[in-house]
Amino acid sequence: MNAQPRSLNILIAALGGEGGGVLSDWLIASATREGFPVQSTSIPGVAQRTGATTYYLEIFPQKNVAADKQPILALTPAPADIDVVAASELIEAGRAMQNGFVTSQRTTLIASTSRVYAIGERAAMADGRFDGERIVGAANELARRAILFDMAAMAQTTGAPMNAVLFGALIGSGALPVSRSAAEDAIRESGKSVEANLRGFAAGFEQAQHPSPPLAPEAGVKTLPRNADELVASARAMFPAAAHEVIELGLQRLIDYQGAAYAGLFLQRLTPVARLEQNADADDFELTRETARFLALWMTYEDVIRVADLKTREDRLTRVRAEVRAREGEVVRIVDFLKPGLDELCSILPPWLGEAILNAARKRGLEDRFNVGLHIHSTHVFGFLLLRLLAGLRWWRPHSWRYRLEQALIERWLKAIAGAAALDTKLALEIVECAQLVKGYGDTHKRGAHNFELIARNYFDIDLTRTDTGALTQAIRKARTAALADPEGEALQTEIEKSLAPLTSSSAMPEVVETRH
Amino acid sequence: MERSFKQEVQSLRLGAGDTFHGEGILAVTKALLQSGVSYVSGYPGAPVSHLVDVLTDASDILDDLGVHFEPAANEAGAAAMLGASIQYPIRGAVTWKSVVGTNVASDALSNLASAGVTGGALIIVGEDYGEGASIIQERTHAFAMKSQVWLLDPRPNLPTIVGMVEHGFALSEASNTPVMLELRIRACHVHGSFVCKDNRAAAISRRNPIAEPKFDFARFCLPPWTYSQEKQKIDVRWPAAVQYISEHKLNEVFTGKHDHLGIIVQGGLYNGVMRSLQRLGLADAYGATDIPIYVLNVTYPLIPSEITDFCRGKKDMLIVEEGQPNYLEQAIKATLQERNVTGSAIHGKNVLPQAGEYTGEVVVTGIAKFLGSAWPQGETAGQWKALTEEIRIAKERAADLLGQPVPVRPPGFCVGCPERPVFSAIKIAEKKIGKTHITGDVGCHIFASLAPFHLGNTMLGYGLGLASGAGIAANFKKRVINIMGDGGFWHNGLTTGVTNAVANGDDGILIIMKNGYAAATGGQRIPTSPGSPRVPSRQPRIDKVLRNVGVKWLKTIHSYTVSSMLKALVEASTTPERGLKVIIADGECQLERQRRIRPLIAKQLSEGKRVVRTRFGIDPDVCTGDHSCIRLSGCPSLTIAPNPDPLRKDPVAKVDNNCVGCGLCGEVAHAAVLCPSFYRAEIIQNPTWWDGIVDRVRRVIIGALRPSRSATAVQ
Repeated sequence: MNAQPRSLNILIAALGGEGGGVLSDWLIASATREGFPVQSTSIPGVAQRTGATTYYLEIFPQKNVAADKQPILALTPAPADIDVVAASELIEAGRAMQNGFVTSQRTTLIASTSRVYAIGERAAMADGRFDGERIVGAANELARRAILFDMAAMAQTTGAPMNAVLFGALIGSGALPVSRSAAEDAIRESGKSVEANLRGFAAGFEQAQHPSPPLAPEAGVKTLPRNADELVASARAMFPAAAHEVIELGLQRLIDYQGAAYAGLFLQRLTPVARLEQNADADDFELTRETARFLALWMTYEDVIRVADLKTREDRLTRVRAEVRAREGEVVRIVDFLKPGLDELCSILPPWLGEAILNAARKRGLEDRFNVGLHIHSTHVFGFLLLRLLAGLRWWRPHSWRYRLEQALIERWLKAIAGAAALDTKLALEIVECAQLVKGYGDTHKRGAHNFELIARNYFDIDLTRTDTGALTQAIRKARTAALADPEGEALQTEIEKSLAPLTSSSAMPEVVETRH
Repeated sequence: MERSFKQEVQSLRLGAGDTFHGEGILAVTKALLQSGVSYVSGYPGAPVSHLVDVLTDASDILDDLGVHFEPAANEAGAAAMLGASIQYPIRGAVTWKSVVGTNVASDALSNLASAGVTGGALIIVGEDYGEGASIIQERTHAFAMKSQVWLLDPRPNLPTIVGMVEHGFALSEASNTPVMLELRIRACHVHGSFVCKDNRAAAISRRNPIAEPKFDFARFCLPPWTYSQEKQKIDVRWPAAVQYISEHKLNEVFTGKHDHLGIIVQGGLYNGVMRSLQRLGLADAYGATDIPIYVLNVTYPLIPSEITDFCRGKKDMLIVEEGQPNYLEQAIKATLQERNVTGSAIHGKNVLPQAGEYTGEVVVTGIAKFLGSAWPQGETAGQWKALTEEIRIAKERAADLLGQPVPVRPPGFCVGCPERPVFSAIKIAEKKIGKTHITGDVGCHIFASLAPFHLGNTMLGYGLGLASGAGIAANFKKRVINIMGDGGFWHNGLTTGVTNAVANGDDGILIIMKNGYAAATGGQRIPTSPGSPRVPSRQPRIDKVLRNVGVKWLKTIHSYTVSSMLKALVEASTTPERGLKVIIADGECQLERQRRIRPLIAKQLSEGKRVVRTRFGIDPDVCTGDHSCIRLSGCPSLTIAPNPDPLRKDPVAKVDNNCVGCGLCGEVAHAAVLCPSFYRAEIIQNPTWWDGIVDRVRRVIIGALRPSRSATAVQ
């Protein structure tokens, strides 16, 4: 019975609230207009609360079937039995493939390359994003035909809901025996936002029929201030070409943060590392590049002066207006949420004073008492002035307590890098990467600095010449990953205990340093 | 409610010969009206919520027919309403989510089944099983068996479903037994069509009420009549049911040429079996099959003569029965043995999985396995092997190419949900007072047990959050936190939990999520829903009720004020005061709120009125990409974006345009002393001339105060 007609099976993979139900209704209506029996089912319910939700449709491509000879249509999608997968998001396309719904003999895969990040990706302490390129690659490999483009962007440019774009691409793909006019009539018949939906439909339809290459993302080119010319020139002379881009970005950041002299210190600090790598005949100069990257970031540590400066930049209001989609003529007011902790305030005082105040408060258990939540109206004159006054303290920064602490930490880190680079570039690189842990504000910064300190004390503030550098590199990488596994630091604690046991027995490792404050 | 049913309501008016197009559960609703039902009740829950929702919107049609519709306080209440059909010849129908709803209803159901009914009593259960199910996985079948309630499991197409509703009432009356109609999730949402009949007004209804009460001890649940009722079930009602079912051919046999084989299938799984046979080269798209099939549209009671007739002479049989235990397989085997029909090998859970949903993939591989062992020489045997291979390879190749499983998307709180801040507060409180045991309850708030909060240690059922903490509280060092929604509170939590805890002097903490709706089931109204209560002056208030049952320590806190919630939590955990401490977290379901206010705002905007829109944002140059804020929130609109700074690798946090400006981001940034990246933007739409002037003056002054970049760069 193989030559018998069979249904065309369509799986719509969407996220709750994306209009997958409306899309199914359009499909039902347009297939019905064409005279085809059609059936749809869905799995809503709690899955719709931000979860992945699917709609499943079967269209029977025989017109005007007699009432007593209605086809029997299935209610669940089955692997290797799907003609069209339409996904409104890239990971959902991946999920359809993972479930075996995309096969090269049958499946036309139509998916948006836009991403709605899953909670696991969002909540990661560093970069937890799934590699979207793998999904695109798999789609091109597995599907009979893959139509992939950024439907979210297209929806935005056409001012249409994304499900209309997806519907357009679905019909435009020609995978279903549904004509454009039947589909457009279905949209008209539904009677809601008809104009916008037709616009989105047309755009999606065109893209499926005549794919145009995606627009290249705009490069965020920033120009260096004029007084950087000299620094840039000397950097180009001093460092290998492979590192120029990162170094120039670093210079730009440092000048913006504290000025040209500070940027000069950056180049000075970078020199020994680069020299070591040049002596080792490296070709890609990864160590120099990564050291430059993290050194620039560390030297431009975040303090209240920096935050106030960034929040009062001229281009900020323009950026905010675009982001919140304020229209021409609408007034936008900005309220900033600042709650500097006592330690953050003390850190911009002279070392002796800041330390004294903080110690006194800690002794009395008052440290948290002084956390005052501020709502600063930074588009009001007074709020702006307050921020500007803070930002204006930039000249004072080098005299602050925090400055002194950070510079000492940076010097120690650089010393460890240099020490390691003389033995093993990979080890040095691993030590460089540990600087990734130190970031953020308040408790986040405390936690990161603490984790860095733990790793430094346990793994690299030691006589590296007496260690197995390969094993140590591995151990540091594991510890760094563990530090980013959970904010409570449990994984790092376990990792340190586990990895130091074998290392300490054969080397000059110190005892495990406790991870609690 | 989540959806408006205006359009669907119109299809309830269709008359004889008209074609209904729509969802399965709405077809059932229409079938109830065609069956002359006098009263309908239910408790909402996926996948049958729409039945309750559509009737809520259909009051004028119900008025025309004299149908009484009343949402029940819980499933027990709904089942108890069927008591109307015990003594009187009136038809009633109720609905709920099963198996949980059936659990709650089972007290009333047992009594109803024992007493027996005069008028048809139909229970429509949404079998929430398999993919998309939100509850524990059990079968309603067991309840049918233990109470001797008949169970219909129709083929999942609208004409059959509608027909079975009509037969259900008749069967109920013919056998004086309540009847359950079981619909799986996808059948409830299946979109199809059927040809209608006219709606039928019942002879007895609120328009034509009963004048004299009727009393008959034979239908009263007290000994000694309960003894005779049990006998009557076996001696009278069961045989009557068997007779009705076989006379009206409710079960169906489809013959096929390979009659040494046979498949017995629950009606609800028929389409899956047919699709599988089609893919295996043994059926066509229209239902013609090469292998004989016996479809059980009634899965309880079974009809022994039909079973023996179908099985006689067959060498190998496959029973396709979803869920466990395999009641049907056991019963069919016993029937064949009792009736000396031997020689057929009965397959079932040996080739199909013991547990879990029978999806297309499960059924097709199960049938292929059955055929492979029962009929290896089959003419399309090559096709069976090729197909199972194809499925295996499709998944394997995808797994290889993807490298690792794609991220999961557990359900979570919606954008701006008022329950999220409560869990943010608990998370922050944990840093101060340590972790404690947290009992969860049924409702959206149970999502807190998932990422990113991971708050909640047990979940024991609807409205049972507090009751489920009583045992552990006595055995736990810290005060236990119990969570309950206002839906659960009115469902039974007030009595089962609060009143009893107060009476026993329990020393726990109860957080009541007062969002105003049975939100997880689709936003249905509860006695304390905001706006237009049925009797406004009589609308109850949770805080007053709590005071009246003796709660002394009670605080009502606006959900979004994390710092106040934090303070209350710390106080409740540390106060020396004994007794139940209740925190009402007050915040309207954001989905419902948006649904309510969006049209109002759109109207104001179109009228040119000044509207201030609020949303949150993050400065990408200030954010360092640690994502602590996300771990304390999980709001879908708080997401990540590539870092605009080429030196940084970690993505920055970003607030997308779904933000409703609930304020949690700012609250959390403050309460957790987190990060200065957040800002609140207030967008004044249709600004007044004064707004414009103030804005311009401010911008001029600020521009003058701002040093130029090139000046600041030199130092």
